[in-house]
This record gives sequence, structure tokens and C-alpha cells, in this order.
Amino acid sequence: MKQIILKRLAMLVLVLLGVTMITFFLSHVIPGDPARMMVGQRASEETLQEVRRQLGLDQPVWVQYLTYMKGLFAGDFGTSIRTQQPVVDDLITFFPATIELAITAFVIAIIIGVPLGVLAAVKKDTSWDHISRFFSIAGISTPVFWSGLVGILIFYKFLGALPSSGRLDLTVPAPTRITGLYLVDSLFTGNWAAFTNSLWHLILPAITLAFAQLAVVTRQVRSSMLEVLGQEYIRTALANGIHGPVLLIRYALRNALIPTITVVGLSFGSLLGGAVVTETIFSWPGMGKYVVDSIAFLDFPAIMGFTFVISFGYVLINLLVDLTYYVLDPQIKE
Amino acid sequence: MKRRWSFALTSLVLTFSMLVTACSSPATQPQAQNTPPGNSAKPAEPPASKTVTDTLFVAINADQGTLDPAVTFDNAAWKITYPTYERLVEYDGESTEVKPGLAKEWKVSEDGLTWTFTLEEGHTFADGTPVTAEAVKFTFDRTLEIKKGPADVYSVIKEVKVDSPTSVTFILSQNFPPFLSTLAANYGGIVNPKVKKKEQNGDLGQNYLANNTMGSGPYELTEWKKGEYLKLTVNPHSSVKPAFQTVYFKIVPDATAQRLQLEQGEIDIAEGISNEQLKALKDLPGVEVLQKPSLFVDYVYVNSSKGNEALKNPKVRQALSYSIDYDALTESVQEGYATQMRGPIPKGLWGHDESAHQYKRDVEKAKALLAEAGASNLTLDLLYSDNKPWWETEALTLQAFFADIGIKLNLKKIAYATSREMIDSGEFDLALGVWSPDFGDPYMFMNYWFDSVNFGLAGNRAFYKNDKVDELVRKAASINDKAEREKLYKEAQNIVIEDAPYLYLYQKDFLLPISKNLKGFLFNPMLEGIYNLADMSK
Repeated sequence: MKQIILKRLAMLVLVLLGVTMITFFLSHVIPGDPARMMVGQRASEETLQEVRRQLGLDQPVWVQYLTYMKGLFAGDFGTSIRTQQPVVDDLITFFPATIELAITAFVIAIIIGVPLGVLAAVKKDTSWDHISRFFSIAGISTPVFWSGLVGILIFYKFLGALPSSGRLDLTVPAPTRITGLYLVDSLFTGNWAAFTNSLWHLILPAITLAFAQLAVVTRQVRSSMLEVLGQEYIRTALANGIHGPVLLIRYALRNALIPTITVVGLSFGSLLGGAVVTETIFSWPGMGKYVVDSIAFLDFPAIMGFTFVISFGYVLINLLVDLTYYVLDPQIKE
Repeated sequence: MKRRWSFALTSLVLTFSMLVTACSSPATQPQAQNTPPGNSAKPAEPPASKTVTDTLFVAINADQGTLDPAVTFDNAAWKITYPTYERLVEYDGESTEVKPGLAKEWKVSEDGLTWTFTLEEGHTFADGTPVTAEAVKFTFDRTLEIKKGPADVYSVIKEVKVDSPTSVTFILSQNFPPFLSTLAANYGGIVNPKVKKKEQNGDLGQNYLANNTMGSGPYELTEWKKGEYLKLTVNPHSSVKPAFQTVYFKIVPDATAQRLQLEQGEIDIAEGISNEQLKALKDLPGVEVLQKPSLFVDYVYVNSSKGNEALKNPKVRQALSYSIDYDALTESVQEGYATQMRGPIPKGLWGHDESAHQYKRDVEKAKALLAEAGASNLTLDLLYSDNKPWWETEALTLQAFFADIGIKLNLKKIAYATSREMIDSGEFDLALGVWSPDFGDPYMFMNYWFDSVNFGLAGNRAFYKNDKVDELVRKAASINDKAEREKLYKEAQNIVIEDAPYLYLYQKDFLLPISKNLKGFLFNPMLEGIYNLADMSK
């Protein structure tokens, strides 16, 4: 086990190195000049050259890359051209909001999706199955911006029950920062006002985001369950008098979970990256908006920082998914 | 071993799910509290903007970049920096002319090279430091040393001299008539010299001022939650006593969300609502849509020397100008919220010539001009980007108009940053563009657009060269007599309208959905998107 983890961690370093290289060179060969974006349109050639020099853009690309990597190894992601802030600070500011949203959505999708999938498989071709299918198809085929807006319309405009934007009311101070996840921080510091208020703000965006993921989870659980339920050992178990929840959970679901975890694990990665639309609709101060703005501005350090962290997350999730296989299925060997 | 692993995992999942359940249960509580049975249509809390009269809520589209007046060139940043800094002179109400600001009076030498300003006493930075001539010198020296965009505007400054604590003199290297007007722009904001204490690695405080304000304006930036809001509060040392003690600029990227929040009274001003949605807002009882002519123009660069050979011929360029139905264009692209341009200088800025020639759609004339020029079966490329949401429609509309006179227009839509590079190097036939003046002087249009030293993105994006025009606009930029300058610009305008290196399309209207109970907002076309917060109330 240890060996596998070590091997995979070594791979992680290689993957990240590759990612930084590709992102760096790709973003630098695109025509366009951040210096020009910065000095405004009417700047003279002299000013432009001066700003290029200040940003190090007058160096050959490979020198810029080496300088960047040198900084990266020292934990320095550089300074954002657009916000003039260290990229690390920007990431620390925006990333927790995205993580909080994505995790909550993920948890909602699992909590609702897995039982729904099991139910659909066990009660195959009954109205339960149809209802579950209806939700899945609705979830996967409804664009997030639409379901988000409908949610706002109903719960904010008509019912006045939920807020439509932000992580907290303007009048509620943010909890003391520990992780940047408001729910966790307010829980740790016993700040109940911030806890309820942030949870309050989280409900609509998280459900919107979860709705799309729900379909993936439900359909995957359903089809794996159906496959497993048809296996001989289930029939054997049945013949041995094992019924009900024990059979379903201990014998069937456990085996059905392996392919589900792969799909769901990877979908968490896309949740992180794909929260952009949700964040825009709900004015959620996460990475999405930050990255889109950075790309439009050709803010190289910010783009690099984001790509690095996202790929790191992706690779890490992949690793976790693989490790879960070993736990769930004793047959899988190195 | 494996069993133990699975046990550990199962317990972990169980603990986690219990935690989640624990976390989720309060979710229902506030909901239940706030929506008792039979009272479901009532909002959870009355919207803040309706109950609090000393606080203003403005929804903006996007978060800010740097707020340093010596660095930023972004109009969006000015809505924060304008009320937090003061300038030597300020734009006067709704006019493009300036009035005294920090300086109560000024005089300029005969040759226009020496400007002396006398400061009014009693202005104080937000930390209590008085504004002195020393601070004025510090500000301009700092901008010039930082050498970013704003330094270009002030490159004409040779030296700033402190005569006394209340008198400061600018020595210019050449006469520059719009100089006074540039001092009223955002980059003229006077910075507290104490920013030196915030310096990091010799950055002259750029990092600090990117996120903080250090001016003497009626407000100061007291909180900035990135991606969420910027909060301004009253500068305790300012002599101005505004009605709004607090102003929130709330970041709401989605237009529909902004509209709903305005409808619900959660915000007082919504900046990012598209023209189509504005029509629906007009019928709402508590909301009004302000509509004012702006100096923001939308036009087409016709590459007159580096593009398609045919475009070198003024007749072809005129034919393009005659092919357009300007009213139909503004109707389809701006829902009619725009006015056709009459020459380069927009209406509302001095130097605008109401008697100048204005192109109208005349297909026969356009075809005849093309025939005279010997340009048949012409195919041209139109470059544009997604920078402006209406450009797609505009490009398609132009394509249809040009087709009527037998010109095939290929639409080339590319990324904004790339399009800027291509425009700068002249790699296009036609390109869509917008322009708005930084300071209230026709120099912003006539010298930038037509002087052949400004080829490229700097301003002469049509790569247009006419010796007579060069001479006229340069002369107009070298004398201080306003009447004489106006005459020179008028003469130059007639030539550039005739030569048609640009398709002068329209001046966009400034539209702002705003709560009806808001009072005192003045729109100054030089300060589009900037609020006179200190005079506003509700």
C-alpha cells in the first residue's frame, strides 16, 4: 500500500511539472500582451516597453519559465498582473468559496443520488424507477444558469425565503478565518450567526450545482446495481436466506460502488472547474469569476496558479479514488 | 489488514454523514422561522436598501483590479477612486469644463509652459494629514516614476516645484492646452505622501494602493471583500458631510440577478443590465431608468494604409459610409438608445460641429463611388472581439448593409487581447471599436484619431495620414486660445469626414436603472459610471 502511494505521489510531481510547462508555453504563445492590457490603450511604445521590462515579459519565454518555476519551488506563485496581489493571496481568498460550494453540492448529490439509484435498480420498471429517471434526465439536461435562475425566482423573488447572492449578508461579519470555509470556521469559533447565515446563502447555489451532478450519480448507481444484482453470488446469497438491507448494502451496493466512485470522483473535479456559471449567477465569490477575468486580461501568473491548484486537486482526487478501490475490493492487487 | 481499512473507511463515512446531517438540520430552522405558515410571501428580512437611509447599495458587474491612481487606466476603478481622492480641479456638475478643487485658483504663463496653483486650506487626508503643495509634488513625481499608463498622460511635465505649503508650480516641456483638463481625471488624484511607509521592495506603495485608498476625498475605502463587495465610509476629516455614511459596491456579475435585486429593493443602483432588460424595468413602480447622452462612441476603423488596397481610395471609404442605414443600426444594436455621430467629436463636447456633413444611407451613390474607384467584387474582413456584447449584432448588420452595395464582408471574431495586438499592428481591413475621452478636450478625438504619429492602438487606428490634417491638429494642440483651436479643429473635421477613415456610427446613451427614492445624482459625461456620492441621498 505504502509503495503504491509513494509511486503515485512521484507521478503527481511529474504530472504537475508537465501541466505547468504546457500551460506556461501555451498561454505565452497566444498573441496578446498583458503589458498592453495594463497600461491602457493609448500608451506610448516607451511606457509599454518599460512595463514589459517590469513584468519580465521582455525575456525569452524559457527564461520566464525558469524564473517562474524557481519561484514556484519556493512557494511563490508570482504577482497577479491584474490585481497586483501575490497570486497565493488571491487563491487563498477565492478557493475556499469554490471548495465549500463544490463539497456541499457533492455531498447533496451523493446523499440523494445513491439511495435514488439503489431504489431505481431494486424497483426497476416501476414508478419509482420512472421518477428517478425523470429527476436524472431533468438534472442533466437543464442548463445550470436556467435552474439557478428559476431557483432565485421562486425562493428569492416569490417566497422571499432565501438570499440570491453572496456568501453572507453585508451586515454579517465573516467568521474568523481558519480554513476559509465559512461553515467550518464559524463552527470552530462558535459563531452561530455567521454559521446560519452562510448556510442560508449556500442552499440555493449548492442545490443548483448538485442537481446536475445528481443525474450522474443516480444513473451510475442504478446501472451498476442492476449489473451486480444479476450476478450469481447474489442469487446464492438469496438462496442462503440473506434478504433486504443486508443483501442490498453489504453484498450488492458495496460492489456497485466501485465504478460509481470512479465516475463520481472525477465529476468532483469537474464540479470544481464547472462551478463558474453557478458562481456567476449567485455572485458567489469563488475561483470561477476570478479565472475568467484573468484569462481575458492575459494575467499569466493568475492563470498558472489556478491551473496548478486545479490539476493538483484532480490528481489528488484520482489518487484517492484509486485508493478507495483497494479498500472496497480486496481482489484488486498492485 | 484490509478489513481494518474498510472498517476505518466505513466509520469515517459514517462520522462524516453524521456531521453533514448535523450541519444540515439548522438549515431548516431559519427557513421555518422566517416563513411561518400563512406568511410565506413575506421576505425573510426587509431589504436593507429600503430601511436604511444612510447607506447606498450599488450593484457592479465585476470586481476591481488595482485602485492606485498612478497605475489604473480602468474606468471601473474610478468609481471607487473618484470619491476617495480629490484633484486640483474637478469637473463642474454636468459640464465637461473644470471648476476649482483642491486648488482655489491658478494661473498659466503666456507661453502655456508654467502653471501655478494656489491650494485651498482645510483639505485633509483620511488619516488627518493636511493636503499641502508637497503632497501634490509627491503625487506627480510618483506617477512619473512608476512609469505606467498615467505617466504617459503627464509626460509633458518637466518639473513640479513647491513654492510654499499652499502654492505649487508645474513646468511643462511644451505647451499642452488640455493640461488643466487632465488634472481633473482620475490620475490627477492627490495621494497622501505617507504611502511611502507602505512601500515594499521599492514599489512606491503600488501594492498597498492597489487595495487601499489614501486620499482626501469625502470617502475612504474601509473594507474590500474580494469578489463580494467594496465598502466606502465617510472620511472623518473631510469638510464635506455626505448623507450616505456608508456606500456598498456589491459585485453581482449576472444581469438577471441584478435586476431581481433592484426589483426587490435590495440594491439602489444596478449597473450591469442590458438594454433589452431595461425596457422591462421601465414599467416597475419603484425604479427609473436614467437616459443621458454620453461621449462614448462606437465606430469602425477603416484601415487606410495597411489594409486592403482598395481602402486607400477615399471614394471606397465614402461608399462604405453611404451604405449604412444609421437609424436602423442603432435600433437593432442599441435598441435605439444612441445617436448617430456627426463627425468625430461627439455632441456634448466643445468642438462638436452641428453643421458638419453627416452620412446618410444612399445605396446608388455608394455604388457609383465604388464604380468611380474601379473597385468591383470587393471582399473585406471585419475584425471584432467579444469585448462588447453588441458587436456580434453590429457586425452582422454591417455585413448586410455592405452586401447591398456589392461588398462581401467576412466576419473575423477573435479574442479581445489578440484583437488589440492585430489592431496595433494594422493587420485588418475593418475593425469595430469604441472610444471615450479621458479628459474634456477635443484633443482626445482629433489628435488621437488623426495625427499620424499615433498610428496603431494609441489612437490613429485607421492608419490614416493626411499632411494638412496633421498640421491643423498639431497647431490646435499648441495654442491656448480656445476660439482659435475650435476653428482649427472645425477645419480638420471637414477633411476627415470627407476622407472617411472611420465609419462614424453612433454615440451611445448612458442608461442607468436607479431606485426612484434616490436623490441628487448628477451625470457628467466625463465621469461615466462615477457617482457624486457626497451629494446624493434618499
